[in-house]
Amino acid sequence: MRSHRWRYLAILTALAMVLAACGDDGEGGDTTAPAGADTTEAPTDTTEEPTDTTEEMTDTTGEASGDPIRIGGTLALTGFLAATGVIHEAVGKVFVERINEQGGLLGRPVEWVLLDDESLPENAAAAYERLITEDEVDLIIGPYGTGNITAAMAVAERYGYVFPHHTASLTYAYNYQCHFSSWSTGLHPNITNPNLIYDAIESSGNTPETIGFVINEFPGTMFIAYGQEGTDEGGAVAQAEERGYEVVLDVTFPTAITDWAPIAAQVADADPDFLYIGGLGVNASQLITAMQTIDYSPRGMFTQWPAPGPLLETEGADGIMSVTIFEEHPPFTDDPEAVEVAALINEALAEAGVPYTKVETQAAASWTAWEYLQQAAEGAGSLDQQAMCDWLIENGVSTLFHGDIEFFPEQQNYFEDLSKVKQIQDGEWYVVYPEEFAAPDRSVVYPRADS
Amino acid sequence: MGLLTQGIATGILIGGLYALMSLGISLSWGALKIINLAHFSFILLSAYLVYQITVSFEVDPLLTMAVVLPLFFVFGALMQMFFHRFEVDEFKSLIVTFGVFIILQSVMQTIWSADFRTIGPSLNIYRTSSIRIGGTALPIPSLMAFVAALLIAVAMSILLSRSYFGKAVRAVAQDAEMARAFGVDTNRVAVLLSGLSATFSALAGVFIAVGQQIFPGLAVSWFGIVFPVVILGGLGNTVGTLTAGVIVGVAAGVAAVMWAPLAAPLVTFLILIAALLFRPQGLLTSRSVA
Amino acid sequence: MTPRGRVLTGFLVAAVALFFVPALVEAADLPRFFVIFLFTTFFWIAQASSWNVLTGFSGYFSFGQGAWYGIGVYAVAVLTGKHGWSFIIALPVAGLAALVAGLGLGVVVFRLRRLTGEIFALTTLAIAFVLAALARLLPAIDGGTGVFMTGTPIPEFLGDFTTAMYRMALVIMILAVLAAYVTYSSRLGWGLFSIRDDESVAGGLGVPVFRYKMTALAINSFFAGLMGGVWSLQLGFVTVDDVFNIRVPLFVILMSVLGGLGHWMGPVVGAVIIFTLSDRLNSAGLTDVNQIIIGSLLVILALAVKEGVYVRMRDRWLTTVVTFFGVMAITTVFDLMGSLISDFAVAMVVTVLVLLVPDRLRERFRGSDDGPDQEEGPPVGMGAVAETGQ
Repeated sequence: MRSHRWRYLAILTALAMVLAACGDDGEGGDTTAPAGADTTEAPTDTTEEPTDTTEEMTDTTGEASGDPIRIGGTLALTGFLAATGVIHEAVGKVFVERINEQGGLLGRPVEWVLLDDESLPENAAAAYERLITEDEVDLIIGPYGTGNITAAMAVAERYGYVFPHHTASLTYAYNYQCHFSSWSTGLHPNITNPNLIYDAIESSGNTPETIGFVINEFPGTMFIAYGQEGTDEGGAVAQAEERGYEVVLDVTFPTAITDWAPIAAQVADADPDFLYIGGLGVNASQLITAMQTIDYSPRGMFTQWPAPGPLLETEGADGIMSVTIFEEHPPFTDDPEAVEVAALINEALAEAGVPYTKVETQAAASWTAWEYLQQAAEGAGSLDQQAMCDWLIENGVSTLFHGDIEFFPEQQNYFEDLSKVKQIQDGEWYVVYPEEFAAPDRSVVYPRADS
Repeated sequence: MGLLTQGIATGILIGGLYALMSLGISLSWGALKIINLAHFSFILLSAYLVYQITVSFEVDPLLTMAVVLPLFFVFGALMQMFFHRFEVDEFKSLIVTFGVFIILQSVMQTIWSADFRTIGPSLNIYRTSSIRIGGTALPIPSLMAFVAALLIAVAMSILLSRSYFGKAVRAVAQDAEMARAFGVDTNRVAVLLSGLSATFSALAGVFIAVGQQIFPGLAVSWFGIVFPVVILGGLGNTVGTLTAGVIVGVAAGVAAVMWAPLAAPLVTFLILIAALLFRPQGLLTSRSVA
Repeated sequence: MTPRGRVLTGFLVAAVALFFVPALVEAADLPRFFVIFLFTTFFWIAQASSWNVLTGFSGYFSFGQGAWYGIGVYAVAVLTGKHGWSFIIALPVAGLAALVAGLGLGVVVFRLRRLTGEIFALTTLAIAFVLAALARLLPAIDGGTGVFMTGTPIPEFLGDFTTAMYRMALVIMILAVLAAYVTYSSRLGWGLFSIRDDESVAGGLGVPVFRYKMTALAINSFFAGLMGGVWSLQLGFVTVDDVFNIRVPLFVILMSVLGGLGHWMGPVVGAVIIFTLSDRLNSAGLTDVNQIIIGSLLVILALAVKEGVYVRMRDRWLTTVVTFFGVMAITTVFDLMGSLISDFAVAMVVTVLVLLVPDRLRERFRGSDDGPDQEEGPPVGMGAVAETGQ
C-alpha cells in the first residue's frame, strides 16, 4: 500500500507541475508577440492571454486604434535552426514594438502571431495553413531556414498571400509571383557570391594559386559551391577553376558532423593557398579549432554563413572572410536611424540571452522583410494581397539596411547581389570589400597575418 | 602517408571520448537493465555547467570537475532510487528516460538559449593545444578524454572482477532475485553503480565543454555514435567499450580521410550491423558484467 | 450481426462519413484548417497503427518507423522529382520499396538464433542511420541537395491540393487500421500475441513464428512507406535531415504507449490525443511547454498506465462519453476556446485526466489493490522478449 500511495502522489504532483508550467508560460510568455493561447478571437476572451498584450495595446501613444492588424509567421525557435531563429524573433519583436510606437500600420496596431515550427518544414507548412485559414491573419511573414521557407511559400502561393522572407538560399526554385526575398543574394548567388569573394581576395594584390573546398552537405551551401543540380552553371568550384586557381581539395561533410580531425588533416595535407569553407553556424569554428590542434593555419579562409560570435572567440580565426549585408561601423552607421535600430536590436538580442548581439546578415535581412510588409500595406493603402504584391513590384522598397530596392519579375523578384565581404581583423568583423563599403582604413588582408 | 597516420591517431583519441560518453550507458544497461537515454542530456548538462562555472567564476575549466562530478553522482543515484521505487524494467526505462531526455533538453534550451556556447581562449588553454610525436599531432582535449577513458575502463574492469562490489554487481546483473536471496544489498549496489555511471557521463561532458562549442542540438547527434559503441563493446564491459570506441573512431576517421566524411556514419553502422549479426554478445566476452 | 461484422460495418460508416467532411467544412464555412488538421491526424494514425502491428502485437520493439517512412518519402520524391514519374504510379512503389526493405531486414535478423529484443530494436535504429548516410552519399537519391516536390502535379480527380491530401491520407489510414484490426482478430494476431508472451512456447505450439513475424514487419513497413509517399507532397522540399530524424519513431512510440499497445484501437486513440494536444500547444505558441508536457506524459504514462487509455475508455465508456461530450458542450456553447479543435482538445484532455486520476483514487478509497492494472493481457516488454530469444 505504501508504495502505491507514493505513486499516486508522484503522479499527481507531476501532473500539477505540468499544468502549472503551462499556466506560467502563458502568463509570462512573449513580451511583444502576443501569441496567446488562442488567436482566433479578440485577445480578451482567452484564459491564458499574456498580460503584456494589453500593455502593448495601451502604450501605443493613442495613435494606433481599431482592431489590430495580425501578422502571422513561424520561426525555428527550437530544433537545429534555433540558434539563428532566435535572432529573427528578437528583430521581429523590435520591429513590431517600434511600428506600434510610431502609430501602427494604416493607423491600426500591429500584432505578431508567432509560432514555433521546431525547425521542421512540415510543421512550418501546417502552421501557415493554420495561420491563414484558422487564425485568419491579415498578413504573413516568412519563417527562417531554406526548407521551412520553401514549404511555407507553397502555402502562401496556394492562398495568394504576399510572402516576404529573409533567408532562403535556393533562389532558382522560387517562382511564386508574390514572394519577395530580403536577402541580397540576387538570383544567381552561385555565380555572384564566389566571384565577389575571389575579387575581394585578388584586391589584396595577391592571387591564390591553389584553393581547397570544404562544403557542408546542406542544400544552400551545396548550391553555392557546385551550382544548381542538373545544370553546369556556376558554383564556387567551377568559378575558381575558370580563374585558373588549381582546386587541390574538394570535400563535403554531413550537417551533423561530430569529428573534424579527419577533415583538418586533409586540409593540412592539401595545404591550399586559400580555404573555402561552405559552412553553416559553427562549422568554420570547429574546423579551425581542429586545424589548430594539428598546428595548421591556412593562408586564407572564407566561410559561407557562420555564426559570427563563436568565430570571434575561436583561436586562429583572425583573417577569415565571410559575406554580410550590414556591419555596425561606418559607412553603414552613417545613417542615424540605422544606428538607432541597431541599438534596439542589440538590446533585444542581449535580453534574449544571445551572446553575440551585433546586427549583421541575419538581423538586417529580417528587418528588411518586415519593411516590405509595412511599405506594401502603406503603399497599397490596404491589406489586399494582390494590391500589395503589385505595389511592391511596381514601386520597390526603400530599406534601412539595403538602401532602395527594386524587384524584377523577370528575375523571379530578385534584385542584384548586394553582398559585401567582411573579415575578422584585430578580433572584430569589418567589411573590407567592395572598397566603398569598407570600414575606415580597412582593406582585405591576404595572406592572413598569423599564417 | 602522414595523412593516414594523422587520421588514425586522431581516430584513436576521439575513440576515447566516444568510449567515455558510452561507459555510463553501457554499465547501467548491462548491470542494472536500465537503458538510460537521460545520460545523453547528463553529458550535455555537465558541459553546460562546466561552461557556466568557468565563465562566471573565471576558473580553469578542469577545476569545475570538483563540483560537477559529485553533483552528477547524486543525480545518478537519485535516478536509480526513482527507478527502483517505480519498478522500472528495461522496456519502460527506454520510454521513461526518453521523457527525461526531452524535458532536460527543453530546460537546457530555456536556460542557455539555442545559440552556441564556447569557453573563450582566455579561459581555455587546452582547446587548441596539442602534443607532437614525429609528424603527428595529438590534440590535448581528446588526449585527456582518452586517458580518462583508459583509466576508468581498466579501473572498473579490475573493480568489477576483483572486489566484493564487483561480485555484487555481477550477481545483480545475472539474477537480482538470487543476489538478494544471498544477502546482497542489491539496492545499494545499484544506486552506487548508477551514481558512478552518471559521473562518467559528466566527465565526458567536461572534455566536451573544453574541446568544442556546445548547443542543445548536440545531444541528439551523439545517439548515432554512442549506441554502436555500447553494443559493439558489449553491455557492461568497460574494456570492450573502450576498444569499441577506438574501433569506431579509427574506422570513421579513416573512412572520412580515404573516402568521404559522409561515409563515416555509414561505416560506423555497417560495423555495428555486422557486429549485431555475428557477435551480438559484444567484441570481448570476458570481464563483462552482463 | 457478428462482432466482426459490426466492426467492419463501423469501418465502412467511418470511411464514408469522413469522406464527406471536407465538403461539410466548406458548406458550414468552417476554417479550412480543419481538413489539414484531420489529414495530419490520419497520417499519425496510420503510422502508429502500422507500428503497433509489429511492436504492440509481436513485442519486437522497433525504432524502424523512421526508416520505412523515409523510404516512402524518398521513393516518391526521387521518382517524381528526378525522373518525372506520375505521382499516382510512384505512390504504390513507395509502399512496396519500404515493404521490400522491411522484409530484407526481417530475413536477416529473424533468422538469427541469438536475436534478442534489444538487438532487434537497435538494428532497426541503425537502419535509419544507414539509410540517411546512403541518401546523403548518393546523388541519385539526394546527395545533400534536397529534392523539390513543389512542382509535382497531383491527379486532378483527387481535387485541389488540400482535398487530395485529405482523400489519400484517409484511404491509407482506413486501410492501415483495417489491417491492424484484421491482424488482431485473426489467427495471425493470436500467433503474434503468443510470440510476444513466449516465443519458444509459441513455436512449440505450432505457430509459424518466422512467417508471422515477417508478416507483421511487412504490414508495418508497407503502410509506413505508403503514408510517407503521400507525405512527401506535404513536405514540399525533401531533405535527409528533415526526413530521417527521430520525430516519427518518437511520436509513434508515444502515441501507441498512450493509447495502448496490443489493442488495434490503442494507437488510433493515442494518435488523436497526442497530435491534437501538440497542435493546440503549438498554435498557442507554447512549444517549450509542449516539449516538457510530452516528456512528462512519457514518464507518467509509462509508469502509471500499463494498458493504455483506450482500454480505460472501453471499460468506463459511460464516464468517457459523459465527460467528453459534457466538456465539449460547455466549451462550445460558451465559446470558451474560440475554436472547435481547441474545444475538442480540452474535452479530450479532461476526459483522459478523469479516466486516469479519479479511477486510481477511487480504487484507493475502496482499499483494493487489484485495480485495472492487472486486468489486461501481459505487459509488453523487451525484457520478456529478450528471454524468449534465447
